[in-house]
Amino acid sequence: MTMNDGGKLRVIDLSMGWAGPLVGSMLAEMGAEVIKVEDTRRYDWWRGSLSMGPPELQPHERSGVFNGVNRGKLDLTLNLAHPRGVAVLKRLVASADVLIENYSPDVMDRFGLAYPALAESNPGLVMISMPSYGAEGPERDARGYGNTVEAMAGVTGLCRYHDDDQPYTLSNALGDPIGGLNGMFAVMVALHERERTGRGQWVELAQVEAATPLMAEALIGYQLSGNLPVPPGNRHPDHAPHGLYRCAGDDNWIAVAADTEEQWRSLLAVLGLERLADDPRFSSAEARKGNEDALDEELSQVFLGLEAEEIARRLTQAGVFAGQVNSAPLVIADAQVQARGFFIPIDREVVGTHLYPGPVARFSGTPLSSDRPAPLLGEHNSQVLRDILGFSEDEIGSLEREGVIGTSPRT
Amino acid sequence: MRYTSLGDVRVVDLTSRIAGPYATKLLAEVGAEVIKIEPPWGEAGRRRGPWRDDADATSYRDRGGLFAFLNTDKFGVTLNLRHERGREILLDLLGEADLLVENFAPGTLAKFGLAPANLLERFPRLSVVSISNFGQDGPDRNTLVNDLVLFARGGWTYPVGEPSREPLSPPGSLGQYVGGLFGAIAAMQALFARSFTLGRGQHVDVSLLESVISTMIYETVAFQYTGEYRRRIGKRYTLGPFMIVTLPCADGYAGLHCVTDKQFESLCDMIGRPELVADERFRTGLDRMVNNDALLAIIEPFFLAHGRAFLYAEGRKRAIPMAPIPSVAEVLEWNQLGERKYFETINDPVLGEIRIPGAPLRLSSHRPAPTTPAPQLGEHNREVLVERLGLDPAEIARLHEVGTI
Repeated sequence: MTMNDGGKLRVIDLSMGWAGPLVGSMLAEMGAEVIKVEDTRRYDWWRGSLSMGPPELQPHERSGVFNGVNRGKLDLTLNLAHPRGVAVLKRLVASADVLIENYSPDVMDRFGLAYPALAESNPGLVMISMPSYGAEGPERDARGYGNTVEAMAGVTGLCRYHDDDQPYTLSNALGDPIGGLNGMFAVMVALHERERTGRGQWVELAQVEAATPLMAEALIGYQLSGNLPVPPGNRHPDHAPHGLYRCAGDDNWIAVAADTEEQWRSLLAVLGLERLADDPRFSSAEARKGNEDALDEELSQVFLGLEAEEIARRLTQAGVFAGQVNSAPLVIADAQVQARGFFIPIDREVVGTHLYPGPVARFSGTPLSSDRPAPLLGEHNSQVLRDILGFSEDEIGSLEREGVIGTSPRT
Repeated sequence: MRYTSLGDVRVVDLTSRIAGPYATKLLAEVGAEVIKIEPPWGEAGRRRGPWRDDADATSYRDRGGLFAFLNTDKFGVTLNLRHERGREILLDLLGEADLLVENFAPGTLAKFGLAPANLLERFPRLSVVSISNFGQDGPDRNTLVNDLVLFARGGWTYPVGEPSREPLSPPGSLGQYVGGLFGAIAAMQALFARSFTLGRGQHVDVSLLESVISTMIYETVAFQYTGEYRRRIGKRYTLGPFMIVTLPCADGYAGLHCVTDKQFESLCDMIGRPELVADERFRTGLDRMVNNDALLAIIEPFFLAHGRAFLYAEGRKRAIPMAPIPSVAEVLEWNQLGERKYFETINDPVLGEIRIPGAPLRLSSHRPAPTTPAPQLGEHNREVLVERLGLDPAEIARLHEVGTI
């Protein structure tokens, strides 16, 4: 049984990249009918962001990230520079519950798809717009991606080693999924309100405003103390040890921290370093923090000869904070991740079978499902036009001849 | 700011620290009635900073700045769940609730005789959202974790930093917020399923580790396609057909996010080297990937010679995504957020006036009301227990005496 048995929700997803498409795929996990609309000339740029190659290899179908966040969707191509393309889209939206878009502000207006016009024929429509910095304000037209969004929220400025000034970009463009998760929450809230009032609405979600709450501690700390936060890197402002240590093998690392006296003693026992218990440099929490460089030096020498996964397990069992610093393959191989079956195999045309992350929330009554592959470009043109909009084969043929729909990228 | 969309939703909140309170904050922000239940000595999140600089240890230490942010718009009630009467009162509250959100260690509710399965049976309309470090089952379900270890296991840490030194963990408690978001979405989905398909509540299990991993799709899926996974490459995000990098400039650092051919052309124009567009080393994305080091060496001096404001303005003119990597002080003063009235000033009863991040979503159906500060310990005991549940005020005094509230 799916959460939305019978797929009662219809969602039109005009968005590209990660943040917007994540909203569509989370609604698809609930069983909604999600129709992704792409232009064959300006298809979702995430199809190409990490894949390059000759056209005969269909590089636009070989993007792991695109195929990851567009699972469970139907794909319709429409030339939105063509009046017939816009007309088809308007008909689709007239029957939809949710419309997702993350164009620059004003683009929807230019298509004649501003919310007031759409709501006239479909007052129950929930439309979400997800600009980088907002539909209003001096930076409304500035370009942003996940990385720039998280930087403007103050994240990047705090991502530094404890002993160096150089800031680093997070590994995962976190601004994107944070925008997407907030977008999904906003859509669910608007649908809940619709259930009570019968009316849809336009919701704006500026991605930078979704990322900023994650910085609340630093933003408020600055106001309370008047001091800018000092980036601690891998260290902790109060506790030591708290760091990453190289283990045996090629670029294997372990994360270890001992906050309490008990954890400290357990750490020494597991590592066979009991001699340090009486070392005056490390005899109290304050002393350990004060002599952190020396402490790290002692620990580094020991970890270098140890196997990361095994020592992490032993330390964890002893109650010490410890875990392997997982690279991508190790994330998938992580024992807990495996035991819960978080990754699921999905076979997709062109690329074959790979593992993809499953739904995060696990419902006892109505489980989510994300085991359908991402669509090929224009894969469901006929299905959407014929079965949902009632177009005849002749009409579909003429749309194809006029270049309104298509299944391969055009330049 | 507080909307009213969830005005018909009642939430009993047993959460503490960050992930759980953030989930229920999101629900409160859109109008749900959230009753935050704490033990009489307060939840652990109260005793985490940041503190006001002049804070006198005894008067301020049950109200850190993050607690004051994460618990706005909630009612505060104290209940000792180790006392039978405490549990009885909780059950009375659950009888009227749509959602129970909790982030105890797995199995804790069952130890109190409050196992989710039993609660669902007793209260068919109730859904229980459980947020935990590793999920309700699996070999690590009872394992302790901190942010350093959570991010490391989730894959966030490995690809960041200098190749010659240790990887760099992300700052703050970012992953806790990701888990909170998944919890809040799950709460909405449970309400949705109750209305449209299931007709009753259910239990939802959200793991922080899986929340963190779900944001690593770049790595976990992409690496299977190519066989290559990202390793540390210094200030660049990764080696690719683009230039995503944080560069030192005259007065700090600037983030450059040059991805498309068009953005590359604009970048060449910006640094006064338009001839580079035709340079065979940089003609295609693939060329720019192969000769990334050479390209970086050309760009770096230009950035170093100019200030952040200049670089950002010149980039913006040419539609190149850039960031004048701001400090948190600069985030607070950023025009864009200022004109959008994003930060809201609240008058916290202990911390005084503070500006807090506002609601990310902006609903057009109605105007939001001002935010109510986080509750003091047990602030709404009387309002909730006497006026709502009808307890005798004399019993409240007695419960206070024996430490139940």
